[in-house]
Order: sequence, then C-alpha cells, then structure tokens
Amino acid sequence: MHFHQLIGRCFVGALFLILSAWSPANTSSGELFGSATKSAIDVEPLEYFHKTHPAMGTEFSIDIYAHNQSEADRAINLAFDEVDRLEDLLSNYRPSSELSRISREASNEPVTTDPETFRFLQRAFYWSARSEGAFDITVGPLLRAWGFFFQGGRIPSGSELVSLRSKVGWQKVILDSQARTVSFSHHQSMELDPGSIGKGFAIDQVVTMLHGLGVTSAFLSAGGSTLYAIGAPPGTTGWPVNIPDPIHPGRIASRILLKDSSLSTGACTEKFFIKDGHRYCHIFDPKSLRPVEGVLQTSVIDPSATDSDALSTVVFVLDPTLSRRVIESTPGRKALVFRRPQTHQSCLNMNWPGDPCGQA
Amino acid sequence: MIDRRHFLQGLSATAIAADSLIGLGADADTPGLTQAEAEVAKQILPSKDSSPLHIGIIGPGSRGKELVRNFLRVPGIKIVAASDVYAPRFQELNDLCGYPVAALSDFRELCDRKDLDAIVVATPLGLHADHVLAALASGHAVYGEKTMAYTVDQARQIVSAVEAGKRLYQVGHQYRYSPWIRAAIARVQAGEIGTVTHIEGYWHRNNDWRRPVPDPSLERLINWRLYHQWSLGLLAELGSHHIDIANWVFGSTPITALASGSICRYHDGRETDDNVQAVLGYSDGRRFIFNSVTDNAKMGDQLWLYGNKGSLNLTLEDATFFYEPHQIERAKPSAHGEEKGVTTSASYRSSGEMPYRGPGRPVNVTTAEDPTTAATRAFIYCVRTSSRPIADVHVGLGSALAVVQSNQARLQKREIEVPPPSM
Repeated sequence: MHFHQLIGRCFVGALFLILSAWSPANTSSGELFGSATKSAIDVEPLEYFHKTHPAMGTEFSIDIYAHNQSEADRAINLAFDEVDRLEDLLSNYRPSSELSRISREASNEPVTTDPETFRFLQRAFYWSARSEGAFDITVGPLLRAWGFFFQGGRIPSGSELVSLRSKVGWQKVILDSQARTVSFSHHQSMELDPGSIGKGFAIDQVVTMLHGLGVTSAFLSAGGSTLYAIGAPPGTTGWPVNIPDPIHPGRIASRILLKDSSLSTGACTEKFFIKDGHRYCHIFDPKSLRPVEGVLQTSVIDPSATDSDALSTVVFVLDPTLSRRVIESTPGRKALVFRRPQTHQSCLNMNWPGDPCGQA
Repeated sequence: MIDRRHFLQGLSATAIAADSLIGLGADADTPGLTQAEAEVAKQILPSKDSSPLHIGIIGPGSRGKELVRNFLRVPGIKIVAASDVYAPRFQELNDLCGYPVAALSDFRELCDRKDLDAIVVATPLGLHADHVLAALASGHAVYGEKTMAYTVDQARQIVSAVEAGKRLYQVGHQYRYSPWIRAAIARVQAGEIGTVTHIEGYWHRNNDWRRPVPDPSLERLINWRLYHQWSLGLLAELGSHHIDIANWVFGSTPITALASGSICRYHDGRETDDNVQAVLGYSDGRRFIFNSVTDNAKMGDQLWLYGNKGSLNLTLEDATFFYEPHQIERAKPSAHGEEKGVTTSASYRSSGEMPYRGPGRPVNVTTAEDPTTAATRAFIYCVRTSSRPIADVHVGLGSALAVVQSNQARLQKREIEVPPPSM
C-alpha cells in the first residue's frame, strides 16, 4: 500500500501540516491509573514509550504507556506486525496481496476472498454508496493518467479521460456477501486502491489488538493523516492533537483532546503537482474524473478510524451541504473543512468542538 | 524415493499449452514448461468449482488461523470444526470465519467426525505425527504444517500411512507453489546459471521469537518453539523451507549434516538456540548452507543459488538472476600469425573480488500471489479431483530427514549421516 508515495516525496516540502500529538512528559502516576488490577502492575509505574515503523508508504508511530520496556516492546512489536500483515493483505503495490489478486482476477469470474478482506471491501463500498460515489477506491487509473504514480504530474486530454470512464466506478464492483465473492461487472480488470481507507482499517485492527493485550493508554498515527487515541495519558483527559489552519500557515485552528476515538485528515498540501501556476491535488472527484478544486484540508473525528479515514475524503469531495448531511447524521462524528477563501465560505464547522472557524 | 519429476510425468497430467492455462507466465525467455510445471499450473489455477467442502483444523493458533484465512479464499470452503487445548483460539477462529465453528478439546473427536472432507494440522512440531496419523487413520485428507515430523521414525510412519492407505497428504512447504520461485527454478534447471553446486540460505530476524503469554503457566504452550519438548528450533521452523528448496533444486535429499548453534542473545530460559548454522552435504560434493540469527535482520529471508554461470536470489517476494563474468575462451591466433607483444603489469584489481552490485535481472511473473494462498487452493483442487499434491509426503519426508539429522548433528557436535528417503 504505497499510497502514491512518489508524488508525496517530490513535493513533501509543505509537510508542516502533519498533525502533531505532543509527547507528554514521563510520569510516575501509576497510582492515578485506577484500572490496575494485578499486583505486579501496582508496584511498577507507567512509563512512556514511542516507536515508529515504515509501512503503507508512510510512517506509522505508536506512543504507549506501559509498566516496563518489555511490556511496551511486546505491544508495539505485535502492533507493527499487524500493520505489516494488513499491508501484505491490502497493498496495491504488492502483486502478492489479496487485494491485488482480486484486482487481477475478478474480471474473469467472481473471486472468493477471506472474511477480513471482504469486510474491508464492504466498508469501502458502503462509503461509496453513502457518499453517492464521492468516495471510490477504483480511481487508481485516474491517478495514473494524471501522472501521480511515476511521472510527477501531467494533464490528460479530454478524450483520454472519457476513455477512463469505463475503467473506474465503484458500481462496477459487485460484492456477494452470501458467497463472499467480488466480481467486476464490466469484465475488465480494475485497480482497487486502498489509499483512502486502508490506513484507517489497519489502525482499527491494531486498536482491537491492543485492547486485547490490556493496553489502556496509547496513541497511534498512520503518517499523521489517521490518528487514534486509546484512553488518555495518565492523569489527563485525552491525547492532545493540533489541527493546523491551512489558510494562515503557522496558526493552529483547533486543539482537541482525543480519547477512544480517531481523527483523520485529508489535505492537498502533501501530494499534488503544480502546472502553469495551478495546483492539482491527488484527491479526485470520481464524477468529473478531475482533481478536487478549492478544498485545502478536511479533518474528521469518528470512533472508527476506518470511517474517519474514508470520511476525510468524502467531505473533501462532496459539496458542503451533502458533507454536512453525512457528518451530522451520526452522533460522535465531527468534521472541520477548510476551503480556498475566494471560492466559498472558507471554514466549515460540522459539530466540531470549540470555535475553530472563529478566526478564519 | 520416487523422483518427483518422474512421478509427475507418470500422472495423467494432460500436456496442456501452459500459456493458455496459466499466466504463471514467466519471462519470454523462459523455456517451455515441463509437465511438472503444467501440473502445478493446473492445481493453482483459480478454482471454478465451488461445491461445498468441509474442513476441520487441529491447532487454530497463529499459523493455523493464517491457513484458515487462505482456505476461506477458495470457493465452497467452510471450516466446520476445530480442536485446540487453548480455549481462546475458538473465539478467535469464530471471529476470523464470521460464523461459529464447532469447538472440540480433543483432536480425536475431530478426527471421528463424519462431516469433514479434510483436516488441517497446525500444531507444535512435536505433535504433528500424533495428529497427522490420527487424521489419516480416520480416512481424511490432510494438510499438515511443516516440518512434517519431529523424528525420522514418525516421518516414515506418515509416509507409510499415506501410501498404504492411499491417502492424500500435503505438507506446508508452500514455496513449491510460489510462481516466481517455480519460474526461476525452472530456468535454473534449464541451465541458465550453469551447474548449481552451492546454495546458501539466510533467515535472519531481529526479535526474540516470543509470543505474549497471558499467564506464566502458558509459557511452554504458547512459546513452544523455544522448548525442546515439541520444537527443533530455527532449523525446523525456518530452515525446513530452505532445505526443501535445496532438495528441489538438487533433485535429491542430503547425505550428511553438520550444524551448530548457541544461545547468545536471549538468555530468558529458552532451550532452543537463538542462532543456528547448518551445512548439508549432497551428492557430488554439493552443499546447502543455512544460517539463522535472531538479533540482526539485515539479510532477512533469502536464498542464493550459485552456479558456475550465475546466481539466483530468491526472496519471499521476488527472484533475481545475476550472471558471472564471461568465462575464459579459447584464444584464437591472429590471422597473419604474428602475435602482439604483451605489456607487463603488476596490478591486482580489487574489482575482481568485489560482490556484484546493481539490480540483476528480475524474474517477471504475472500472478505473484501469496504462496500460501496458492498452496491451499492447490490442496483443495487435489481433494476435489483426487490428484497428488505437488508438496506431497515425499517432499515432506525429504525436508524432515534433513531437519531432524541437522539437529542431531548440532547436539552431537559432529557430522552425521542423513538416511536416504527410501529404506
């Protein structure tokens, strides 16, 4: 799952956007952490550990409170093993992944897949249906045509774009939950690209695993774009996250405390190309087959990292009214959208805490 | 031992035009596929048959669940029963399958079931023979994890049970089903790097090989790989795959084994070595050298095949050829019979001793899927069609003989014989 790493590398100069979680100072407040039950745990205070791991074309990181180094090592190593397992499962850059097998074979006949991969695809296509096609993991050929994989950016001709219509489109993918099969209705191979939901899916799996290990305070980041907070640092009410204000560089638009929830951000500051003074973004509107215009940054909070990851793209692509409908229909879901100031109302607050648009 | 290639030629494998069949398609310069390759291609072809087939699993632990995940990618497969001595596995298996699987605490109950088409054995190595033999005795087809058995006797018992009972048994040497490894080895066998005399396998990791243990009383059950009772250590858990590939490339099993090992990094009460080295001797002085360390992962998991005309590098994701500089050629006298003088020099060129660098020539395959996905699908094909698996009981025996005897050599600190496959 390389997630268009190449463009990211070429233009990564503007990477200041990365959401940052502060590193809380070491604490010896094990006693503040009332959930300790075993005697060994009572005597050892919680310590703070941090580790990074390259995966899915970006860098994953884990901040964790554990009672000792070996407990932290265990949890972190298992977590990163799980991320690697999911990259093996879902990478569109690895021909040996299950997703690549499906992309390759589902044009011939229905491909039976394992329940986990099927669940991943179901959720991805749920968001396609829910967003009326704004979210679509079949847009790989569009990114290719616009030079986002290897060429550093190009603008395809109108006829080239028209010819791509037959190659992309979530409605061409048929999921049969009874037989657990995937097939492509137009009998052509497709390119299923997990880039807009896979990191969130991986984070959710790791969260489930860490819960199973009894971890009560940890912060996970998939390259800064999808975050998840398990509990809170000892003695606090949440893991602090800063949302930068893309209209006023250097300014923080919102500072929130994340707890048992995820936050994902989509932005055009990281992966884009500039041609004739115009910035072309790597997030596409599947309807126009063109990069989305006028949106600078979206952030979404949702209990599920899979959903927040997908939703950060949904509200990037959908118009504000429809975005608001998707976000505000579900309690616990929040979004903050920054658009280019001259085109629209530049800061849109959808259930976001505080007054992030106050200074916009 | 029946030579596998001859055996397969004896099968009724129709000689199909391989290209139309597979897409196991290798480089354009790959020689035509042998019948063995055609048989593999047939077995790993996407399955069109989705008739219901029921599987039971003994030991749905971490590897067992990975096998289940792969079996569930084959149309028509349902996991209906599992046995394990560690109860949390049952819920994990249910979560993986998305439906409840009958949970049994005794593997004999599982073998007794009449509703199973095949049994998967993914238990600790020391228990393989008990479980595989019981499953075969109850008349079931068996997919058994590697290494096939913990002792030579047990391995031979499994061979006898399969042959006498005409049972279907496939061993978990899934690299036999890896498209890029097959395509590369086919080219080696066609002479692309000359005669292969040496194979080196590295399987290096940087972790303590431990699984988290919820309660200290479960240490030996969950971390069984670290204790002699059921484990032959790194030689078996990692080395057996490489040994299988060496047996495949050399077309035979080794005749001698030398090995050493130690615990030099993880002094945590484990019994099996945290690093091992083995040298297996094959006929005509050919050698396979295995090396595994667990505190540095630079080399990762890779094999090198060395022939006098070139080298092949095999990894979990790809295969790459490198070629030796041109060999000495017979010199031709100049046409007019007048030789040029030679200018003296005394230079030693270090470049002649430098490792080859650069990308090499990768082997291109169009269907580079996960070898376990292919191996499990091939097993189901064999169950449905009563075909003989590629990684059959003889493949399992060949690797097991070498693993068990290497471990003996390690214990006895001397070179020992590896008995021939057929007694």
